[in-house]
Amino acid sequence: MKPLEEQDHYELLEISPQASAEEIEGAYQMARSIYADESMAGRSVFEAGDAALIRDRVEVAYCALIDRETRRAYDAELGGVVPEHVEPTSETESGALPPESLEDFDPLDASQGEFDGTRLRRLRMHRGIELERVAEVTKVNPTYLRFIEEERFDDLPAAVYVRGFVLGYAGCVGLDPRRVAKSYMSRYEESRNSSKRRLFGRR
Amino acid sequence: MKRGQRKGGSRRTGRRSGSQPRLLPLGGGKGGVGKSFLVANLAVSMARSGHRVVAVDCDLEGANLHTLLGLRRPLHSFAEYVAGRETDVRKLAEPTPVENLRLIAGTGVDLGSAQPEQNQRLDFLDSLRGMDADFVLLDLGAGSSASVLDYFMVSDDGLVVIAPEPTAVENAYTFMRAAFYRRLRLAMVEPEVRRLVSVAMDQRNESGIRSPYELLREVERLDPAEGVHFASVMRAFRPRLVVNGVRGTEDIRLGFSIKTLCSKYYAIEPEYLGYVSYDEQVREAVRACRPVVDIAPDSSAAVYIERIARKLAEGPGEEVP
Repeated sequence: MKPLEEQDHYELLEISPQASAEEIEGAYQMARSIYADESMAGRSVFEAGDAALIRDRVEVAYCALIDRETRRAYDAELGGVVPEHVEPTSETESGALPPESLEDFDPLDASQGEFDGTRLRRLRMHRGIELERVAEVTKVNPTYLRFIEEERFDDLPAAVYVRGFVLGYAGCVGLDPRRVAKSYMSRYEESRNSSKRRLFGRR
Repeated sequence: MKRGQRKGGSRRTGRRSGSQPRLLPLGGGKGGVGKSFLVANLAVSMARSGHRVVAVDCDLEGANLHTLLGLRRPLHSFAEYVAGRETDVRKLAEPTPVENLRLIAGTGVDLGSAQPEQNQRLDFLDSLRGMDADFVLLDLGAGSSASVLDYFMVSDDGLVVIAPEPTAVENAYTFMRAAFYRRLRLAMVEPEVRRLVSVAMDQRNESGIRSPYELLREVERLDPAEGVHFASVMRAFRPRLVVNGVRGTEDIRLGFSIKTLCSKYYAIEPEYLGYVSYDEQVREAVRACRPVVDIAPDSSAAVYIERIARKLAEGPGEEVP
């Protein structure tokens, strides 16, 4: 038993991590009907807009799990509790070589570097993909997608949602969803933490 | 007493010598969803399969369980206990036309003040545990007030009856949440923790606690020992849903949807016990003041009711349908 915000894709859809594609499909259809605005079970439960948020999450979960490749990646990530140090960073000795100098760093080469909102936007535009198209594919509210690109962290919902959005965004634009999400979310967390510090000065 | 240990032998004879009866409350918040109808029919169905059953009408302001069981003028009533005229609860139970089934009616109340005081309610419920029976079914009134919830509190897995209508669904959520918070508050020992639970019960409270999970976190912070207890009380509360009057698969799925939403939003993990189909023969049975399981045992409603009765008698089983 876990708060909704902390549930992973499987928990959200109420299926086991071993669920078959058919079970995922069934759970997805069930979730769609539960979180529909006109749902009889839900109409007195939902607060303004939160059913839409959950629907977005259901879409993201479904997209991630129904495709074998993305599901494998997601499972690895879940099962991992992947410690930070496993992922080679640009400063460490292992893995991809860091760019020689700042000039060599090509912001449009998506295999390296940090992913901030501006860079995501440039990568997307470079690939000729409209934001509306991303919204269409991911079913994520276009306003949130815009906030992600503009890094309006305080206007974005809780981390778990944003992470789902970013995974969907990256997949749609053709970037490595995990790398992008990891990088982007660390920026998100950092900003959130510092705004919390501002609010609760003493802590 | 573990429910799981009771399978086998006792079912055939209906005798469970030396053990207390199992108390099964049926509530649901909304009036007219079929609580009394289900209590009457489940009780008959269980009695017919050999269990010793007592059906109790706890709805003193709208008693009609006796009518559904075909009794015109009950000899005794819960009301006598409330008025202090009879203190032995066992003497209130009277036979019904059905073998093995006795009734404690709710008729003949003091129209000035029908409701018993809280300590009287609790004493009454306590005495019911001393009844010589296998099952005691409690028919609750509508609403989610303390006077109704106390009856529901006799077990952690009372039945919540829901009609497939938005109004009934809404009241069922209110009912379950009210019962849940009441259970939690009564289980807490520390006055500070109790106060916190009371604060959280107000949905627009200023402490910012919006869900049982947040409340749990606050309780843990305030008193770690109570936090552990709180979490276990939270997990133990497992109401069982019955959807009454379903007319199609959409209505059947409603039970699953409510179960999911209870868990996601309210930290309540109900079990979906079963559903009863909409059936013209139910209406006819009610008009004839007879249980539908008696006059139309082959009707779809009767078949579904008996399925639920079997599950209740056998204790926890797999989920519907």
